[in-house]
Amino acid sequence: MTTLSHGPSGSPGSHSSEEGDLVAGPAAPPPPGVRVRDLVVVYKTPLGELPALGGVGLTVDPGTITGIVGESGSGKSTLALSLLNAVQPPGRIASGSVEIDGLGDVVRLDGDPLRRARGRHLGYVFQAAQNSLNPLKTIGKQLLDLGRSHGVADLAALVRDAKDLLGRMGLDGARVLDSHQHELSGGMRQRVGIMLALVLNARLVILDEPTTALDMITQATILRIIREIHKERGLTTLMITHDMGVAAEVTDHLAVMYGGQVVEHGRTTEVLGSPAHPYTQGLIRAIPRLSGDITKASALPGRPPTLGTLPKQGCVFQERCPVRMDVCATVAPPPVTTHGRTVACHATAAAPPLDGRKEQP
Amino acid sequence: MITGTGITKTYKQRGDVLGSREVRALRGVDFAVPRGGAVSFIGESGCGKTTLGRIIAGLETHDSGEIVIDGTPMTPLSPRRRRPYFRRIQLIHQDPYSALNPTRTIHQTLRAPLELRARQTGRPGSWIDQRAGELLSLVGIDPGYVLGRYPHQLSGGMRQRVVIARALTVDPEMLVADESVSMIDVSMRLSILALLKDLRERLGVSLLFITHDIATARYIGDAGELYVLYRGQVVERGLTESVIHEPVHPYTQALLSAIPVLHGLERPGRERVVPTEALDERHADEGCLFARRCPFRTERCEKELPVLAGCQDSSHEHACFHPQRRAVIPVEAVA
Ligand SMILES: Nc1ncnc2c1ncn2[C@@H]1O[C@H](COP(=O)(O)OP(=O)(O)OP(=O)(O)O)[C@@H](O)[C@H]1O
Ligand SMILES: Nc1ncnc2c1ncn2[C@@H]1O[C@H](COP(=O)(O)OP(=O)(O)O)[C@@H](O)[C@H]1O
Ligand code: SF4
Ligand code: SF4
Ligand SMILES: [Mg+2]
Ligand SMILES: [Mg+2]
Repeated sequence: MTTLSHGPSGSPGSHSSEEGDLVAGPAAPPPPGVRVRDLVVVYKTPLGELPALGGVGLTVDPGTITGIVGESGSGKSTLALSLLNAVQPPGRIASGSVEIDGLGDVVRLDGDPLRRARGRHLGYVFQAAQNSLNPLKTIGKQLLDLGRSHGVADLAALVRDAKDLLGRMGLDGARVLDSHQHELSGGMRQRVGIMLALVLNARLVILDEPTTALDMITQATILRIIREIHKERGLTTLMITHDMGVAAEVTDHLAVMYGGQVVEHGRTTEVLGSPAHPYTQGLIRAIPRLSGDITKASALPGRPPTLGTLPKQGCVFQERCPVRMDVCATVAPPPVTTHGRTVACHATAAAPPLDGRKEQP
Repeated sequence: MITGTGITKTYKQRGDVLGSREVRALRGVDFAVPRGGAVSFIGESGCGKTTLGRIIAGLETHDSGEIVIDGTPMTPLSPRRRRPYFRRIQLIHQDPYSALNPTRTIHQTLRAPLELRARQTGRPGSWIDQRAGELLSLVGIDPGYVLGRYPHQLSGGMRQRVVIARALTVDPEMLVADESVSMIDVSMRLSILALLKDLRERLGVSLLFITHDIATARYIGDAGELYVLYRGQVVERGLTESVIHEPVHPYTQALLSAIPVLHGLERPGRERVVPTEALDERHADEGCLFARRCPFRTERCEKELPVLAGCQDSSHEHACFHPQRRAVIPVEAVA
């Protein structure tokens, strides 16, 4: 067993993907791509219906592992729920589309086709998954329910696959399946949630804050496993987190959300190394770092908007933006894509980012 | 100056199937926080950080060991005589949402401790409101905006500033900040950290900073000491930069290896220490407490307990039989 290695361990260990893939069958389809267009999701409030997503556009390439980062209230979970067409009242999808390869526009799906799509095509772990387990049933029983409701023929294989996944995440699979939710720690429940998202072999996996309640060493293990399984199974993975470090560690693409908009999207290393949107730049500068000059870190002034305090027109970031221009108050900047990087900002559109690290005056 | 020697604390848990179970939360911890200094404690969840913070703030009793505040040992004093000492050590809670009474305005929240303070120091009643305004300005919020409001009307960052202002009403000598920014939005975290740093410099308040986020500890405590706590024992300790950049204890190295790498800004360190198994409180107490999980353990480690001691080739202390520097932390990528 390797305990000291250079970078993440690439060996799949004792996991046999031949056996583990029983559920998917031999000819797995290619990973799906996702295209979100002009998505508007509103929540009913005492002030009327207000947009939590104000016309989001996002193209996720097949086979990528894409991080969605943003502060509390920026709309990350709402976006995740929309991908499953699972926005609950008082919220609703007001307009826009979510095209997923193999499924079509999920905004138009409902009833049985939608239920079957969730789990089989779309694996997901909701934020606070540890609280969404049924307290009265053992994890094993809930796993069998899940299998039955999706017409899995070989339930024994499903259990084997579940134990295997739990084992890889450092848990005793047999014991966990025999346990009730309250007998597991928060971190164990979170891993159960990840197992349930993966066990039906969905090719598009959506993880909402999958490591938030975990300890740092456990978190590192889970992140490594998420990346390994993503690669082995050839998935398209969306990982939602408020933690830039977590996103940076696992993802290859990164979408940055602010005030119900995706403001920047591109390759993770490029977005971090040369952020183009003023919000991304501010956010990265505000991260305390382990190396280098600590005085380089500086706070982002102001505070994130809420549904009620979003600017009525113009750029969502205008109130905190150090390079705001007159046009920003009235015209919402359209997303512009150059060299695989999408940025929604009037200032960047006028002067595209250079390669390499860019310092903002 | 606040020091602790040999602080121990054992919790007895009842109701377990096997009868009562003991959790040794602290196993003889020594520490020293100089006046105006900054000391950080890091470690995995459950390793005893909060327990220690609460003991230092006088909110929890310890089983043995001594706490000395400005030269006065606390043990011989009656609880009543201890109180004024501990009042000068204020705990800032992790959760700014539950730390404030939701039925009181910020004005009421600050007024109560200030009234007491005015009586103690013989100040007139007019001083109270003036001081409330001063303290809010000091923590960077507009008194006119917040004084009449209730906690739920404020953002998390503002609430945490109010919590800090309330702690300052007693003119504390030390603030104990336990995960004080982990529940605050990323973009506002740094400004709270900067505020704590600034209060230390301007008011000379010392700071005991408890966190699982090592980069945060570095930001706050760059000039001070860093303690790495594991299962109730300090396993490595020294100047913050030295412990972070030249760790010799395998547990410290495992913590540092677990930090996510900001690819694009950083490169991973050359080496990586991964514990051989997960933390389990039921692990044996024999030998080195980290032995069950340590990739470098030898027979000796399973029998003997290494104690915290100096280190030949570095400025800090460690509790390990086989200390060795390893390049585990992410390094800045060259542009
Ligand atoms: N049930 C609801 N009723 C009213 N408003 C809601 C509801 N759910 C979400 N919102 C609002 O929608 C916006 C986006 O919420 P969402 O939960 O998607 O944010 P998030 O980025 O996931 O935040 P967090 O990191 O805190 O979970 C926020 O302003 C939130 O207050
Ligand atoms: N009131 C309590 N009763 C029983 N055990 C406790 C209590 N408080 C803390 N513990 C135990 O003491 C250990 C240290 O806890 P704590 O100081 O809260 O750790 P940390 O803050 O590092 O997460 C843990 O094993 C914890 O479960
Ligand atoms: S559009 Fe204007 S306000 Fe918005 S981020 Fe760009 S410069 Fe700033
Ligand atoms: S004493 Fe032995 S088991 Fe403990 S940390 Fe050092 S090498 Fe590892
Ligand atoms: Mg969320
Ligand atoms: Mg704690």
